Amino acid sequence: MTVTKSAIRANRAGVPLIDGMEKVTGRARYTADLDHADALVGRIFRSPVSHGDIVRLDVSKARALDGVLAVVTGDDCPYTYGVLPVAMNEYPLARGRVRYRGEPIAAVAAVDAETAQRAIELMVCEFRERPAYYTAADARAEGAELLHDNKPGNVERAVHHVFGDVDAGFAQADLVREHQFSCAEVNHAQIELHAALADYDPQSHRLTMQSVSQVGYYLQLMLARCLDMELSRIRMIKPFVGGGFGARVEVLNFEIITALLARAASGKVMMQLTREENFLTHRARPQTDIKIKLGMQRSGRITACECEVVQRGGAYAGYGIVTILYAGALLQGIYDIPAIKYDGYRVYANLPPCGAMRGHGGVITRHAFECALDRIARELGLDPFAVRRANLLQAPTLTMNGLTVNSYGLAECLERVEQASGWSERIGKLPPGKGLGMACSHYVSGAAKPVHWTGEPHAVVNLKVDFDGGLTALTGAADIGQGSSTMVAIAVAETLGVSLDRVRVIAGDSAVTPKDNGAYSSRITFMVGNAAIDAARRLRAILIEAAARKLEAAPDDIECVGEVFRVGRGGQAALPFIEVVKAALVDEGPITVKGTFTCPPEAQGGKHKGGAVGSTMGFSYAAQVVEVSVDDATATISVDKVWTALDCGYAINPLAVQGQIEGSVWMGMGQAMSEETRYLDGLPAHAGLLEYRVPSIVESPPIEVHIVESIDPNGPFGAKEASEGALAGFPPALTNAVANAIGIELDELPLTPDRVMAALVARQRRARLAAARGTP
Amino acid sequence: MTGARLDFQVIRPLDVASAIKAAAEHAGSRYLAGGTDLLVNVRHGLDRPACLIDLGGIDGLSRIEVTDEGLCIGAGVTLAELARTPAVAARYRALAEAAAAVAGPGHRAMATVGGNLCLDTRCIYYNQSEWWRAANGYCLKHRGEVCHVAPQGQRCHAAYCGDIAPALMVLGATVEIAGTHGQRRIPSVDLYADDGRAHLTLAPGELLLSVHLPPASVPSRYAKARIRGAIDFPLAGAAVALDLSTDRRVNGLKVALTGTNPRPILLERTEMFRGCAVDEALLKQLANLVQKQVEPMRTTTASAHYRRLAAAGLVRRLVNELSTPTAGAP
Repeated sequence: MTVTKSAIRANRAGVPLIDGMEKVTGRARYTADLDHADALVGRIFRSPVSHGDIVRLDVSKARALDGVLAVVTGDDCPYTYGVLPVAMNEYPLARGRVRYRGEPIAAVAAVDAETAQRAIELMVCEFRERPAYYTAADARAEGAELLHDNKPGNVERAVHHVFGDVDAGFAQADLVREHQFSCAEVNHAQIELHAALADYDPQSHRLTMQSVSQVGYYLQLMLARCLDMELSRIRMIKPFVGGGFGARVEVLNFEIITALLARAASGKVMMQLTREENFLTHRARPQTDIKIKLGMQRSGRITACECEVVQRGGAYAGYGIVTILYAGALLQGIYDIPAIKYDGYRVYANLPPCGAMRGHGGVITRHAFECALDRIARELGLDPFAVRRANLLQAPTLTMNGLTVNSYGLAECLERVEQASGWSERIGKLPPGKGLGMACSHYVSGAAKPVHWTGEPHAVVNLKVDFDGGLTALTGAADIGQGSSTMVAIAVAETLGVSLDRVRVIAGDSAVTPKDNGAYSSRITFMVGNAAIDAARRLRAILIEAAARKLEAAPDDIECVGEVFRVGRGGQAALPFIEVVKAALVDEGPITVKGTFTCPPEAQGGKHKGGAVGSTMGFSYAAQVVEVSVDDATATISVDKVWTALDCGYAINPLAVQGQIEGSVWMGMGQAMSEETRYLDGLPAHAGLLEYRVPSIVESPPIEVHIVESIDPNGPFGAKEASEGALAGFPPALTNAVANAIGIELDELPLTPDRVMAALVARQRRARLAAARGTP
Repeated sequence: MTGARLDFQVIRPLDVASAIKAAAEHAGSRYLAGGTDLLVNVRHGLDRPACLIDLGGIDGLSRIEVTDEGLCIGAGVTLAELARTPAVAARYRALAEAAAAVAGPGHRAMATVGGNLCLDTRCIYYNQSEWWRAANGYCLKHRGEVCHVAPQGQRCHAAYCGDIAPALMVLGATVEIAGTHGQRRIPSVDLYADDGRAHLTLAPGELLLSVHLPPASVPSRYAKARIRGAIDFPLAGAAVALDLSTDRRVNGLKVALTGTNPRPILLERTEMFRGCAVDEALLKQLANLVQKQVEPMRTTTASAHYRRLAAAGLVRRLVNELSTPTAGAP
């Protein structure tokens, strides 16, 4: 067999997403659009208090209301749930105690929304209140009451990692500096609101669940656990999903509650959450205080790094352990740093639980690191690009914490954005109030060790062909808008040498598609992509055998280009694809092949405790330059332009890669400039899209995207992830640009006008004081 | 959970007299124009009108007319139309800028002049869902006893956040109001009272019909501080009208601010600048006046201190720009 470049692969512009037309024409059906004409309406009764014991819960009046079919409370589910098997400390409906305002206590299914709402208003709950903590410092203070009895000091997980000789590293430095940063909690703010449709058939005792989930497999596991059902009686279907970003990367309480209601009502229940409830469900990036200490030599070489991270994780564990481990692990894998010490603390507080969000765990660490790097470089008179070039890795390498780096395009990323932005000609020469800043970032291409260890392959794709000649790829991978189904279609078409529209992708239906771990840690392209290629190769072998039989040639001499099988390049004897399929089906009937992918053990991280987190087959790398203007009257920052380069190994679909890079940059911009969740005694002050300030199109700068292809030896066609890596570079690039523009180093995120103004005023005050001291 | 029940009657009168009559006959009714403020509040359970009187069917409420008296703008004119009307942009620039600065294009296409002038005051403890406010024990402005912004006082500090009111105030506009006892005309500044709970001086059932601008206009500008360049209400908004003599001294200076107090305020004591040149000393003094007269409180997530400084900064900038030759032509 000879490998040839197909037409698709030659088309370097990329292709529109295969489900794009359905979306832009409105034909795509999201969960809330599903047929729920005969469904009951679900609503949740939520805690009004931050922390307390439930003394009395009376739902009798709600239960007795006409039109109410079911009411469920904590009594109906004695099982905890959670994404990490070691940290499931949360009930779908509170049992005995609530730990944050908005925690679900009871739920109702009624004939219509009005009746459901009335039922909620009839529920009575009395509490014996306990002290509530809204900051990590308060929760960790001496004598603070514990949110969870088995977690002393309200610390969910403390991580202490040391790699290399840190003291020796600092001793070798010409300059050692420590900087502190405080970064606000943010939320995914995905546009599609949470929704679920659960259908319970009391005759067969089967449950069909349709939900916005990014992780259908986990949802199936948790529903079986919490409803005490056999796994095989649950069917999980993923409709179109309008944005994930990590919001649905763990099973959410409302999903289990909807299923509990459906079973209690022996029917179908539709649950649609409001925007406020989406913010209460939360599971996003925690408020973080971070200290970072770097030692540097005059050459720009980093000699050692010390980092302490405190994350305010909210009331329950969620993904917390993984987040706090990522925050330390991702200090590595991007630069060559000889010694690293990391101390991380994941702390409970009486607020909605945090979770995973795009760039999981790495974003704030990267922000602090890249800002500190710039500041120290400035003190040493080094250019930001030069200091980063002084610390590049050499691939292939294994980092001190056991992360594999097999491809590394960061040097080229730096080159591209430095050239494109005109950095060297423009830096330091911009008019007052304008500035340039830069930063780098990276992200994993899939967690090499799955959360639920089963010994199964990391990804499986089934590929079916029947008498009609159509190819159907079956995958459990959740397309959440990132284009994963399109990627599967391209991988199959490319490998088989057929046109893209011959491939149909069926995704995310547990009754039909093979299990998949889901859309998280940017794993799908790398893992499912490789599995899809594997399946297509197996099918190609079968088809080539059949073609060889028909053409009376040796299989090794057969190749397929443009849906035609030939003997040798330019051979005369040729068979169209459908004829080959027919030949292959003789004696066999319809063919389904299975492709798999498994990360080898050596890629699954170091042997130290927590070493699996951050482990991956390959990192994406990004560099970006941000140009800003700062308005002196209102202290408002505007981003004039962004240049970004991402090494994604190989762009399987350049159009989708560009979209993902732009999206990452833009999401990083939201966190950097204006997005933050704030609580007033545990109540969300940001519970709508008016107060949770996602940038509007007015703030959106032109983003110039450069795709760098380092061709990873293990990636599908050489590809790595492309959806998260460019995010983490934005906040530090912006902060560094603001420092360049107005000479102020800001230590907080986001850089809202009030924070910038406060810094300007503080500088004026310092200048006045200095002047006063200076004059006798 | 947060969904308030929506069970109101809608009446659609065809003339002003019928609208006034309907309001008198239906206790607890509210006038509905663009609905961009009212309906959001109704959905939050902040307002539970038994009856909405839809003004959209009344002919003549949405006209802009140039008369001998100046410019007459119907209360039903949308902000989008106001922003793009050449007669407004040419002579009353602050008003066009203010209209264009409201929320986003979708809102401006629906929202009206009357609705923006009568915008409810806003507070972080008030513009929340029923569940939220109930969990917080409600507040002085609605169903509660305590102002969470200033718990010691008995005053509601919710901030007025309309954009076009300060522009009208510096341009010397009047407003025409109809009620059961006929019509009255008052200066736009007198439409407001200094109380976050009751910031409009309209009597129950009174309807704002139109806005009138004097023919002689002076150069004017409007600008607002906000975190995003669209959607956001002003954290502070400033309108300035500056009349300069031929030797570039101040003949008249009017400054009005929004987003900082329970009502839009017309800055006091600006007459002290009459005859002065616009220089750094004047700008500094003016900024001090602004800082003293605005009273931002913790009614939004941005700090009160910031809003005070931003208000002063905006006024400084606008006066500076208006005093620069060729800039800010009327």
